[in-house]
Amino acid sequence: MSLVIVFWLFMGVPCLQSEQPKIREFEVKAAYLYNFAKFVEWPDEGNNDGNASFEICVLGADPFGATLDAIVSGQTIGGKNVLARRISKPQDVNHCRILFISSSEEGRLKEDLTALENARVLTVSDIPRFAERGGMIGFVLDGNRVRFDVNLGSTQAAGLTLRSELLKVATNVRKGTHAGDM
Amino acid sequence: MQFQNKVRRNEWFGYVAVDGRLRSPQACAWGRVNGRHGKQSRLGFWPKFCSFKHTAATSALALLLSLILPVQATLADQASATAQGSSENLAQLSLEQLGDIEVTTASKQPQQVQKTAAAVFVITQEDIRRSGATCIPEALRMAPGVQVSRIDGDHWSVSIRGFAGQFSKSLLVLIDGRSVYTPLYAGVYWDVQNVMMEDIERIEVIRGPGGTIWGANAVNGVINIITKSASDTHGTVAALGGGSVDQGTGDVRYGGSVGKDFNYRIYATGDMRGPEFHSDGDGFDRWRMGQMGFRTDWKSGDRDNFTVQGDIYNAESGERVSLATFSPPAQITPDDTGYASGGNVLARWQHTTGEGSDVQIQAYFDRTNRQDIELGETRDTFDVDFVQHARIHDDQELTWGLGARVSPSNFIQTSVAVNFLPNKQTDSIYSGFVQYDLPIVRDKVTLTAGTKLEHNNFSGFDYQPSVRLLWTPTLRQSFWAAVTRAVRTPSRLDQDVDFDIFIENTPTAPIFFEIQGDPKLKAEQLIGYEAGYRNQVNRHLYIDFTAFCNTYRDLQNYGPLTIAEGATPPPPHIFIVVPYANGIQGDTDGAEIAPDWKITRWWQVRGSYSFLKMNLQDKPGYTDVGGLLASYEGSSPRDLIGFQSLFNLPKHFELDETYRYSSALSAQSVGSYSTADVRLGWHFGEGLDFSVMGQNLLRPYHYEFGGDPGPLVGIKRSIYAKMTWRM
Repeated sequence: MSLVIVFWLFMGVPCLQSEQPKIREFEVKAAYLYNFAKFVEWPDEGNNDGNASFEICVLGADPFGATLDAIVSGQTIGGKNVLARRISKPQDVNHCRILFISSSEEGRLKEDLTALENARVLTVSDIPRFAERGGMIGFVLDGNRVRFDVNLGSTQAAGLTLRSELLKVATNVRKGTHAGDM
Repeated sequence: MQFQNKVRRNEWFGYVAVDGRLRSPQACAWGRVNGRHGKQSRLGFWPKFCSFKHTAATSALALLLSLILPVQATLADQASATAQGSSENLAQLSLEQLGDIEVTTASKQPQQVQKTAAAVFVITQEDIRRSGATCIPEALRMAPGVQVSRIDGDHWSVSIRGFAGQFSKSLLVLIDGRSVYTPLYAGVYWDVQNVMMEDIERIEVIRGPGGTIWGANAVNGVINIITKSASDTHGTVAALGGGSVDQGTGDVRYGGSVGKDFNYRIYATGDMRGPEFHSDGDGFDRWRMGQMGFRTDWKSGDRDNFTVQGDIYNAESGERVSLATFSPPAQITPDDTGYASGGNVLARWQHTTGEGSDVQIQAYFDRTNRQDIELGETRDTFDVDFVQHARIHDDQELTWGLGARVSPSNFIQTSVAVNFLPNKQTDSIYSGFVQYDLPIVRDKVTLTAGTKLEHNNFSGFDYQPSVRLLWTPTLRQSFWAAVTRAVRTPSRLDQDVDFDIFIENTPTAPIFFEIQGDPKLKAEQLIGYEAGYRNQVNRHLYIDFTAFCNTYRDLQNYGPLTIAEGATPPPPHIFIVVPYANGIQGDTDGAEIAPDWKITRWWQVRGSYSFLKMNLQDKPGYTDVGGLLASYEGSSPRDLIGFQSLFNLPKHFELDETYRYSSALSAQSVGSYSTADVRLGWHFGEGLDFSVMGQNLLRPYHYEFGGDPGPLVGIKRSIYAKMTWRM
């Protein structure tokens, strides 16, 4: 299966191979956000939580614009339509399954993560050392490629289970205390 | 954001420029603001400054914008349409595939530059590729405030904010954290500073003083050339090029990994360049160079990164030299070949100690050998540096470091007219610095203060403090201001040289100038005042504006003349002895504006306008006998304009144009000129790229800078083609 997709990638998007990349960083990050959903189990997933859609939320200044909406439009996770929602404070997290914390929140990261402590939400961000600082998945740039670090301590504390497929791809997997050494 | 991590991980000094909480360079002495130079000159400066800011710089921008505006709207629509399509496709990819996509970052200027309280300009690998530059000096032409003037085929004058010369003595240049500034001549031998162009990650150009972090000689700017990590250079690249001036260039590199964490590459590069235009038909400036090297990057666990890299090179630089001879004919001007060779090896360990904290240790050894008909030198440099960043109270940051450099050298006398005494000397620098980042209003206002303390064998102890203030009212805008002090320490040329220049034959005896170094010569000092504004207006348009006033003390000139006679070898001859002295002071004012507009996905334009006004005068009690004052003032252009357009055409073609204008350089007898380059590139596919470059197309040749004996050397119109193959 993955071979087929790799083939499709090279056939369908030839410019990916060319010297000058045509895809922008935030587009790849948006695609990751949707992709992560396939490899995470939420503790209350089996229950009908009363929410008809699977929400991917963005906290703070939205770097994605229409791209995130375009990526999730028409997609479903666990039979629910995926929806992108913007929130301005962590208290609005409600039914969000995945929360992207914008770099505009860097100065408030500690407060945000504290406020999210009891939320069953996968936190993702490109704030430097996010996974180290108590977040769950932190994007890192490896050359021109977008990769990510995972903090297992944080995901376990929130009761989330990450599948091994995701952990295998992660650049770094941190174990141990979820609060990092902030 | 990740940019910062990356920078910290891979680079030693590189972080300084791009890191948000700039621990940047700089130096300033509060005490001196109101001291010797007086309040009055400061107050007098700003109004004068504002007047030109509103005229020249803004009108240049307005012109640029008016050229671009009409077509912008329709093209932007098309771009957003294509963006939609690719986003839907991305959703289908697996995590592995997403991780393999090469991306362009949202804006050319990374977030960190936006948060840096200094005039930083980053030249990326993509910029270099599309400029068609075959060597580092040519790549630097893109940066605002940087004057790159080609003297001939293998010599350049590269300077920032004035004081241009073949050896621009107040500009510091580093390649992967290794200083390439020579303490013999105070400057950079550009003919041997080669890097495989495909493996450069970026070049950071910092205009303005950088002494607090980088130390002495970072007076008018710092150029930081940073190569890619070995983890980003897997595979084979082979490039072949040839043309009318760049006659042959060849690069080959192979990179790979052992396991996941140990990455390596090896490379070799060779270049051959033909002469530029000579009105007397004597094409002496032929150049050849070969270089090879390696780099390994090993990541051990989460916290440790080790880098080891090295290069060796060999170069032959054609030149014409004017030499005094004490036997008749008193002066010869032979064509000559300068031979240079050398090598270096560098090791760096970076250890993450915790949240926002790390320790880095770097050591390198560098050997250079140079010899031509005028002089020769062998020099070994041993350098060790330590830097620690520590995060304190969550958002405050302390950076401190220690460094030592010991550089034994041996001067080889090859002509009677040039000597450095003593021939053997060991130069040394011992330094420490400390810098603190203090957020005054969280996310909005940050104060950075620090100082370097340094001791060198030429001028002893010096301090180079800086205070910087950054205000980011919104994520997209920032204002910054800085006051800094920096010094240019004397070199062997300033203190130890004995250099004879023939003046004329008289009936009784030939007369020579004898330029004498002064062992008591002091460091040249700068107090720089800078302010800047950046605005990422939207995803497409970025503007960077900077203004500065640099005040200099103790700039070098020649002191009082004395007459001496020489008897050997016969016939008797007369010397007019001219010692170096610290006899010039004054200030330079200037501004730079650099807009960058990604009009669509397939069309980007950028421009820069740099204004410079130098007001130097003799210090009371000194007379500038050697004309150095006029040379300082007349070697840097008042106006410098650059404009670049990058088109991505259908079928994977690229069409790129560059236009440059420089106003006249009176001291170099060079008139104002404009010139243009055009490049056509084609991604053929299968890893093959082709490009054709037409350089300096507007006229058969133009002059950029003097320096060679005899008539000025013209920089020719030329054509160059290149093929690159990647596996």
